[in-house]
Amino acid sequence: MSGRSQCLSYAGCNFLRQRLVLSTLSGRPLKIRKIRAKEEDPGLRDFEASFIRLIDKVTNGSRIEINQTGTTLYYQPGLLYGGSLEHDCSPSRSIGYYLESLLCLAPFMKHPLKIVLRGVTNDQVDPSVDVLKATALPLLKKFGIDGESLEIKINRRGMPPKGGGEILFACPVKKVLQPIQFTDPGKIKRIRGTAYSVRVSPQMANRMVESARSILNKFLPDIYIYTDHMKGVNSGKSPGFGLCLVAETINGTILSAELASNPQGQGAAVLPEELGQNCAKLLLEEVYRGGCVDSTNQSLALLLMTLGQQDVSKVLLGPLSPYTIEFLRHLRSFFQIMFKIEMKSPEEEHKGGEKVLMTCVGVGFSNLSKTIR
Amino acid sequence: MEEQEKKQHRAKHSGPKAERKRRRRLGALGAGQEEEDARKRNPKAFAVQSAVRMARTFRRTQDLKTKKHHIPVVDRTPLEPPPVVVVVVGPPKVGKSTLVRCLIRNFTRQKLVEIRGPVTIVSGKKRRLTIIECGCDINTMIDLAKVADLVLMLIDASFGFEMETFEFLNICQVHGFPKIMGVLTHLDTFKNNKQLKKTKKKLKHRFWTEVYPGAKLFYLSGMVHGEYQKQEIHNLGRFISVMKFRPLTWQTSHPYVLADRMEDLTNPEDVRINPKCDRKISLYGYLRGAHLKTKSQIHVPGVGDFTVGDVSFLPDPCALPEQQKKRSLNEKEKLVYAPLSGVGGIVYDKDAVYIDLGGSHAHENEEEEVRPNHELVQSLISSHSTIDAKMASSKVSLFMDSRPLDSEDVEGQEFVMPKEEREIDLKTGRVRRKAVFEEEKENDDAVSDEEDDQEEEMSEDGSDGDDEDDAEEESDRELLGEEVAVGSAKRLKKEVTKEEAVNELPAFADSDDDLEMSSEGEGKTTPEENEMEEEDDDEQGSYENESSDSDSEAARRGVAKSEQDEISREHKEMKSETSCHSLKKKAVLTTDSGNCTAEEASESEVENSSMDEGDDEEGSHEESEFEVLDRKGFQRTQEKKIGSVKQTELEAVEDEEEDDVENLLKEEEEYEETIDFSADTAGALKWKEDLTQKAAQVFLRQQSTPNLRKLVYGAVAEDEDRESENEADELGGLFHVSRPDKESKQKANALDCSKFLIEKPQDWDLEEVMSSIRDCFVTGKWEEDKDAAKLLEEDEELYGDFEDLETGVVHKGKSAAEGDESGSEQEEKEGKKSKPEAEEEEKKKERMDKKRKLKEMFDAEYDEGDATYFDDLKEEMHKQAQLNRAEFEDQDDETRVQYEGFRPGMYVRIEIENVPCEFVLNFDPHYPIILGGLGNSEGNVGYVQLRLKKHRWYKKILKTRDPLILSLGWRRFQTIPMFYIEDHNGRHRLLKYTPQHMHCGATFWGPITPQGTGFLAVQSVSGTTPDFRIAATGVVLDLDKSITIVKKLKLTGFPFKIFKNTSFIKGMFNSQLEVAKFEGAAIRTVSGIRGQIKKALRAPAGAFRATFEDKLLMSDIVFVRTWYPVSIPAFYNPVTSLLKPAGEKDSWRGMKTTGQLRQERGIKLKQNKDSLYKPIVREKRHFNKLHIPKALQKALPFKNKPKNLEKKGKTPRDQWRPAVIREPHERKISALLSALSTVNNYKIKKAKVKHRQQLKEYLKVKQKEEEQKLKRQKEAKKKIYRMLGQREKKRQKSSLKGSSEGEKNM
Repeated sequence: MSGRSQCLSYAGCNFLRQRLVLSTLSGRPLKIRKIRAKEEDPGLRDFEASFIRLIDKVTNGSRIEINQTGTTLYYQPGLLYGGSLEHDCSPSRSIGYYLESLLCLAPFMKHPLKIVLRGVTNDQVDPSVDVLKATALPLLKKFGIDGESLEIKINRRGMPPKGGGEILFACPVKKVLQPIQFTDPGKIKRIRGTAYSVRVSPQMANRMVESARSILNKFLPDIYIYTDHMKGVNSGKSPGFGLCLVAETINGTILSAELASNPQGQGAAVLPEELGQNCAKLLLEEVYRGGCVDSTNQSLALLLMTLGQQDVSKVLLGPLSPYTIEFLRHLRSFFQIMFKIEMKSPEEEHKGGEKVLMTCVGVGFSNLSKTIR
Repeated sequence: MEEQEKKQHRAKHSGPKAERKRRRRLGALGAGQEEEDARKRNPKAFAVQSAVRMARTFRRTQDLKTKKHHIPVVDRTPLEPPPVVVVVVGPPKVGKSTLVRCLIRNFTRQKLVEIRGPVTIVSGKKRRLTIIECGCDINTMIDLAKVADLVLMLIDASFGFEMETFEFLNICQVHGFPKIMGVLTHLDTFKNNKQLKKTKKKLKHRFWTEVYPGAKLFYLSGMVHGEYQKQEIHNLGRFISVMKFRPLTWQTSHPYVLADRMEDLTNPEDVRINPKCDRKISLYGYLRGAHLKTKSQIHVPGVGDFTVGDVSFLPDPCALPEQQKKRSLNEKEKLVYAPLSGVGGIVYDKDAVYIDLGGSHAHENEEEEVRPNHELVQSLISSHSTIDAKMASSKVSLFMDSRPLDSEDVEGQEFVMPKEEREIDLKTGRVRRKAVFEEEKENDDAVSDEEDDQEEEMSEDGSDGDDEDDAEEESDRELLGEEVAVGSAKRLKKEVTKEEAVNELPAFADSDDDLEMSSEGEGKTTPEENEMEEEDDDEQGSYENESSDSDSEAARRGVAKSEQDEISREHKEMKSETSCHSLKKKAVLTTDSGNCTAEEASESEVENSSMDEGDDEEGSHEESEFEVLDRKGFQRTQEKKIGSVKQTELEAVEDEEEDDVENLLKEEEEYEETIDFSADTAGALKWKEDLTQKAAQVFLRQQSTPNLRKLVYGAVAEDEDRESENEADELGGLFHVSRPDKESKQKANALDCSKFLIEKPQDWDLEEVMSSIRDCFVTGKWEEDKDAAKLLEEDEELYGDFEDLETGVVHKGKSAAEGDESGSEQEEKEGKKSKPEAEEEEKKKERMDKKRKLKEMFDAEYDEGDATYFDDLKEEMHKQAQLNRAEFEDQDDETRVQYEGFRPGMYVRIEIENVPCEFVLNFDPHYPIILGGLGNSEGNVGYVQLRLKKHRWYKKILKTRDPLILSLGWRRFQTIPMFYIEDHNGRHRLLKYTPQHMHCGATFWGPITPQGTGFLAVQSVSGTTPDFRIAATGVVLDLDKSITIVKKLKLTGFPFKIFKNTSFIKGMFNSQLEVAKFEGAAIRTVSGIRGQIKKALRAPAGAFRATFEDKLLMSDIVFVRTWYPVSIPAFYNPVTSLLKPAGEKDSWRGMKTTGQLRQERGIKLKQNKDSLYKPIVREKRHFNKLHIPKALQKALPFKNKPKNLEKKGKTPRDQWRPAVIREPHERKISALLSALSTVNNYKIKKAKVKHRQQLKEYLKVKQKEEEQKLKRQKEAKKKIYRMLGQREKKRQKSSLKGSSEGEKNM
């Protein structure tokens, strides 16, 4: 067949996830060279290998070739299969690392995805499961990916370095997505959050809540932060605590911020009060950035816009994160989709920083895996 | 165009129309009483008679209403739709070409002699048609059915329907049903009018059953001079031009082009060297369906899959008339465009181009005026090589003895130059870095941003960080060009841009404007700068003079800009538009504008070996500037930001020479101090740690539109050409372009994390910072139109005036004027405009708003009450469609194409590479060339599951593993399907043949096509058969990469030892391992005893123990039923019918079936002996004797006892009677005696017979006598009885008499 879609080639291990995800969705093969080629221990790391294994699990007929040193990866995507799965994530990255990509892929499976992920639920690097649960799921609902089976459930909490957490992620299957016009974030009506603590004193959570409230109360009275202290087998293998805050507007925009304590044996101990305050400030920073989608989910929103019908979708974002910028470039090379990017400075003074209005026409993507009867 | 004197409209004063009008008018006035509705006049007649009946009618009407509903779809037809594809089909000799010719003549008044390929004509003010004739080759029929909007189906009425018609209808049904209009021809052959009527009716009804009841069937009654009658064709044309089309799923979701022109772009030298080399061709045509993106996959049916090389849109060769006021088309607007048939001016031959001077107004000069784009089109058409090629070949020599620059160099220059030049202003000693942009790299953005920063800091007022680096970069590029052109050693200059925060600059802020602004606005810029800018100005002026052909009315800047755009984009065929770089100035209070992304910064971090030096130098530089500008009143936060900005800059500066490092060594320390001061928590060198993030963050706060777009995508209107990038290493033989590797732009091996870290949070304890987001919360201030208090007030305004009738109190609302006043006051407070007209406008707007609000309220009250779900859905779709149309409308095509892709309706030129040479060599314009766009991963292959049904008119059934030609999506290909049927438990069981009248499943290995796509199958596309050719139809159900079809496999074994219910079975498996695999499997004997495999035995390999529900016999056969997955041959062979030589295009043959091969080669199938039929031989059944035991015999009653009829034993020999041997004499005697006895016997016999006869006769006589005797006796008796009766009577009589006598006597 002369017309096989040509292979895309990249270098370096950065943005590995989005490359693999986009390759899977667009059906274009991918080659990544020079993965940590010049470092002391070249090649793919364990968490990347675990991610590739996960991709292999959810797809059918994909071909993955890795050279001996692990510095070159060739990926020919298959069709997304889904079903009931289990995966042990590497504890060097949190489950959020894996879950973010699964969120992109899950609506386009053959069978509804129901996956149990084990590993670190909250860490300092990746968006935690709590935040994704609070922000990404409402975002998916906006695109018509809805149903009672759409859920993220935290069965066990696991903190780094040892992990031991377990979550369940289930997502229904959609054939097509609906376009969105999401340009008015609205005003923040309430702030919710979760203060969690495992294998430390349950009082930690309360202390975090107190301090976070002290800052946020200056803006809004409607604040409720749940304390979640897990015990026994549900508390994972390492101690730790943290806070994630979610601000919800009257239009359903959800902005989030989170902080976690330093992993056991790494860095200085963090006072829960300090953490709570810092987290609240981060939330204010996020509010300052604003937009209709919070900064961690920008790329997810843009992806779902791209995969919509051939209609115009619009979304107002805060400043684009470097990850999103690279994601936009990748969207262009995989889907030939270019976004119209307009700066919007808020017309009023007290509404935070500059916003970016992203507009695109969807590619008319349809779920090729889904069976019709 | 001369203005025609138009006759004024004169209203009718008499006649039925006037009468009707008058009546209507009267009715409106209420005068026409007699015209009143019958419902009003006679209400009883319309009263409800029966509630049940009414309910029923209501239900029925509702049913009918809902039946009409279609799922609403978003209307994606573009504003200027592509021409409607009209396909003329029919069997041979039915009059297709004549009809096409007549239609073209009808619309354009031109007579085309020979029609090849599609013909595009303007048929009306808003409609164009592409008419194409479809031959009878099934390939052509399939291809054209996929792109047709309207099908004119010609039917020879004198003959009736032919197979082609039905085949085409079937093809249409499978691939989405376009509008179909039947046209009956050859109606003049009917002499008998009644016969004609009958035929028409019959054909019509058959046609209706095929298409839909009520489908339009047109009658062309006869020919006049070899053409159809003018009036009839005219009517047909009217029908066509008002027809509406329903969007078809496949067509609306895929872009496609029906090519009307093909050009070979291969290098002639390559062809000369290797005549069979792959070609590069360009195809032209209107884009239809969906948006086409560059670099997408396309399929050309009959050729294969390709990747779109280069797409560009051309001016419409057959444009719709621009003026819409007129009723009908001008003669000159009736365009016709058919390059393949040589219409449109040019006929291509192998080695020459012929220009056709035909047409009714070929020599008129106005044509050029009417069609301004005509010239361009002509030039485009008439050029041998494309502009790209020309551009590529043209060269410019910049210097006398330098290597000539070609376009690639130029391109390289403009897109690739990551250079940054450094100037030192001699007077001030300032270092100014000139950013020479290469648009691909974000690098430069960073640099330019830096410049911005610098400028800002240099400018005395702490005004905003404007991000107009777009303009700057352009100007810079231009400047570079100028410089090179002039060849002087003049240093590059840069202008300081300076605007008021509120100033709205026009779109193309460039150096000139800046100069004006700065010079007249504030005299703060140093005189040196002014001078420089003036110099700049002069340069530009001269430049402009040179380029005098540009638009005169455009501002100088605009001109310069357009010029430079031309330079930058000469490879495009279109002139670059001037508005694409429109800049937006913004007023931002914060001073930082360190525009740099993390990647860039990090890149520089990685690359810059002498970073520290650079840092220091730059930092000190900044510091010095700081001092000079004497900015003191900065807040701490601002300072912090500035600090980070500086760091950014330090980072981004890469190739700087270190000439002034020494001078500024001292200030270094000061700089560091300030940094320390600003960074509160950081240690001595902590500020260096996360420079990239900081820079990125600061930048991100300040990104501006074009900047951001460029940051993300590189250049705005430039398609990423990696090839050109690679080539453009040397510029004019002079400059070496040093570019960092593309990959090193971002940290290739950095941490992959989506979190957007905030490294430098603002201090949220401060009141100002807090107030910056105050309004993001519900507790903050609300917008005017949403604020509850305000809304209440407005309500009062609207409903304020009312009088309480009970109390008589009159409530007065605020008067509208007051409101207006307050509004205007507010306005003034805002300090935007105080001009009276603005006020007026504002008032007007407010009034309109109020009106709208009232209307909305009214609508909400009265209209939306009965809005159904369907209406809502429709409304939603409508809104989306409007948004789709409006979103990119204001942008010019060049930019729009980048966002949306090429939109349908555009006339595009598509370049394709690696086309087989046969396509060009054997090109035949009679066969349509279609470029069908493929969606994502539709170019991949996998296993496709279908639901398939053999066509009921196809005579044979289809066999599994026989190759079949499918038409699916855009493609036609041969593949090997396997048929299966789904069992009740979901198992896909292989079938050997398709069922006769039932759907079955099929799986094949081939191109992935979306589910729900229809397909049809034919066994052969070559040759003609009188039979129906479509073998099967169906739909795609599922796509997969693995196979699910299984077939049954029975393993048999034999018992070798039998216990009660347990048996040992052997012969089923070969090893213990195999048995282990099947432990627990259900087994069965042929006689029906069920059992289970238990465990393997050690002794004979493969034997196992099994339990059964009953005891087996040694003669039983045991089997286990298993399912074996079937492998599907990975055979996918596109039908390359367009590659066949001309005249043989309908003779494509693919893989042959085994049956065909066997027949061709005369190979007999070796048959299994067991499956042959043999005569049935039945053996005679033999039963044993019944044996009754002796005891039983004894007990039996005699009746049932076996009778001992023993055979008599042999008679002993002695008891045998001796044989009697007679003497001859005795023999004679006996012979005589026997003879005598015979005679005697005979005599006796005879006598007997005679006696019998006599007896018979005697009996007869006797009987007669008897009868007579009886008769006589009867008579006698009669006589006697009569007598007796008479006597009796007499006696009675006498006795009666006697008594009466006696009475008398008494």
